[in-house]
Amino acid sequence: MSTEVTAPMSGSIFKLLVKVGDQVKLEDELLVLEAMKMENPVYAPVDGKIAEIKVSEGTKVQANQVLIVIE
Amino acid sequence: MTRKQTPLRPYFEKMPDIGKPLSEAEARRTNENVGLIREQEQIIAAEIERVRKAGIPAENIHKRGGMTIYDRLEYLVDAGTWRPLHSLYDPQGNEEGCTGVVDGLGKIQGRWAVIIGFDNKVMAGAWIAGQAENILMVTDLAKRLHVPLVWITNCSGVKLMEQESVYAGRRSNGAPFFRHAELNQLGIPILNAIYGTNPAGGGYQGISPTILLAHEGANIAVGGAGIVGGMNPKGQFDAEGARALIEATRNFKAKDPGRAETHFDQTAYFREVHETEKGVLDGIKDYLRMMPAYDPVMFRVAAPAEPKYPAEDLNRILPANQKRPYDAVQFLARLTDASEFMEYRPDYGREVFTGIAKIDGFPVAFIGNRQGVFPDYPEYAKGAYPGVGGKHYRQGLIKQGAFVTLCGRDNLPIVWLQDTTGIDVGDLAEEAELLALGQSLVYSIEQTELAMMCVVLRKGTAAAHYIMCGPQANANNAFTLGTPLTEIYVMHGETAAAASYARRLVKEDEAGRDIAPVLEKMNQMIRDYQEKSRPVYCAQKGFVDEIVCLTELRNYIKAFAGANYQNPRSITPVHQLLLPRIIKG
Repeated sequence: MSTEVTAPMSGSIFKLLVKVGDQVKLEDELLVLEAMKMENPVYAPVDGKIAEIKVSEGTKVQANQVLIVIE
Repeated sequence: MTRKQTPLRPYFEKMPDIGKPLSEAEARRTNENVGLIREQEQIIAAEIERVRKAGIPAENIHKRGGMTIYDRLEYLVDAGTWRPLHSLYDPQGNEEGCTGVVDGLGKIQGRWAVIIGFDNKVMAGAWIAGQAENILMVTDLAKRLHVPLVWITNCSGVKLMEQESVYAGRRSNGAPFFRHAELNQLGIPILNAIYGTNPAGGGYQGISPTILLAHEGANIAVGGAGIVGGMNPKGQFDAEGARALIEATRNFKAKDPGRAETHFDQTAYFREVHETEKGVLDGIKDYLRMMPAYDPVMFRVAAPAEPKYPAEDLNRILPANQKRPYDAVQFLARLTDASEFMEYRPDYGREVFTGIAKIDGFPVAFIGNRQGVFPDYPEYAKGAYPGVGGKHYRQGLIKQGAFVTLCGRDNLPIVWLQDTTGIDVGDLAEEAELLALGQSLVYSIEQTELAMMCVVLRKGTAAAHYIMCGPQANANNAFTLGTPLTEIYVMHGETAAAASYARRLVKEDEAGRDIAPVLEKMNQMIRDYQEKSRPVYCAQKGFVDEIVCLTELRNYIKAFAGANYQNPRSITPVHQLLLPRIIKG
């Protein structure tokens, strides 16, 4: 079963902290989303393995856009 | 059967819970943050140690049987209650490395007092640059909290080589004597423990307080006996003049005027003279017991209780990275009694929180910035841009102004937790009246008679630093604290560099010239802003009254609350408070 991690707000990807295949734990920091000059961390909502990363650093994203898939 | 309780129990005994324990993941990923804060703490601690060592070594004073100012404070102040202020204050960068006075809030015999003493290791307590302003901040603090001022006087008078920096001017070293008179007029007693030789300025320092107790070796006088040369008729010194001065000094045997034989035995200015240095401080303790102070039960609304969550969490909650948001309510939950908070209008003006908490059982108001991004807010900018924590918008400014006004009515002291980047700007913000609402908040603060304390958790920026009761709120701000993460500046260095050099860049670019020199100036400006906004700089310049570890914040807030309620000038009966009823609805 996979879990989609979505953008909590519009902004741009400032930093990616994981790569495909990484094991992550609940609330691990996955990436940093820059919005309104603030660095907003996005955390893992579940334990699992990074199955897919749909963005790269600098990508502009909209709120609720899928960023990462964990399985 | 006799029954007793705290007042307005249904409102205060159990208030709404706030906060939650940190998760395992939060603890794991914030270790680096703790390390960064520790680094800053070490820098600050090293600076404080440097100031403590200012002047001659303490051993020199100990060898002749004397006590340093730090020895005197340790003996005088109740264990565990000393809250130092202005430890690093030295706005002129004196060669002494300090302003020559040591001060803070502390309890003596169970009563809060503002305590200040001359550092007798530094030129025997001379007047040096920055000292007058330091003393004025301290007398103002006693005035605002309405608690006794305790002086440990040991003052040799003007440092004659630098008289121009201390003697003259509106806020010079003479101004504290008028402040002492003002405190006396207001019914605030000043106790004075007098040591050593105190001529001229030192003499007025000795005579101007309310109660004078002296060491047997102390004197206070209009002038010292040391001015042996008098006027030199030649207008300058030559070899002959120097020879005469040498002889006069060698043969000088006069004792200092104004000794105990005069001011105890003859004039009876001194109420007590003690053989030992400790004896003088024992006398001060005796007098403190006579000072007016209500039992805390008079104003407590519940039994004191520690927060539910450990203070050490604060080093994990407050990010060292200034661009990172955090949960401000989680921070607050580590400061208030039982981690409880009765919030005023939580759904309105959500960029700030306002409400009542208990500190050591006393009711205390809190106002602070929330952090993060607020979609669909502010209402006047919907669709244009989202709100961001740390900024002030229309609703938040209205809420703060109304809350402060109600606190004034209810006599609730206010603690401000600042982490602000400014007030919203632009045409929409102007149409939303933010300029006037910011000043309206200033007016609301000034309109009250409340004591307030301010903590700049991270950023104190632009006019928002002022309107959230920064130290500029002269009539209300008792003191302002910084933390190891404090940065205070008009705007961020990058913003300032862009504002200062943008047009110049355009000009150079259009002329086809190399822009590298302009970029270097811009980057130098950014570095300069960084250097001049760091915690130690803020403390040295007096932007804050002290930098304290996050884990010490609650102790300072307890001191503020306890002192505020010790002998208040005005009382609102707890059962007549309005704010808790407004909050409940």
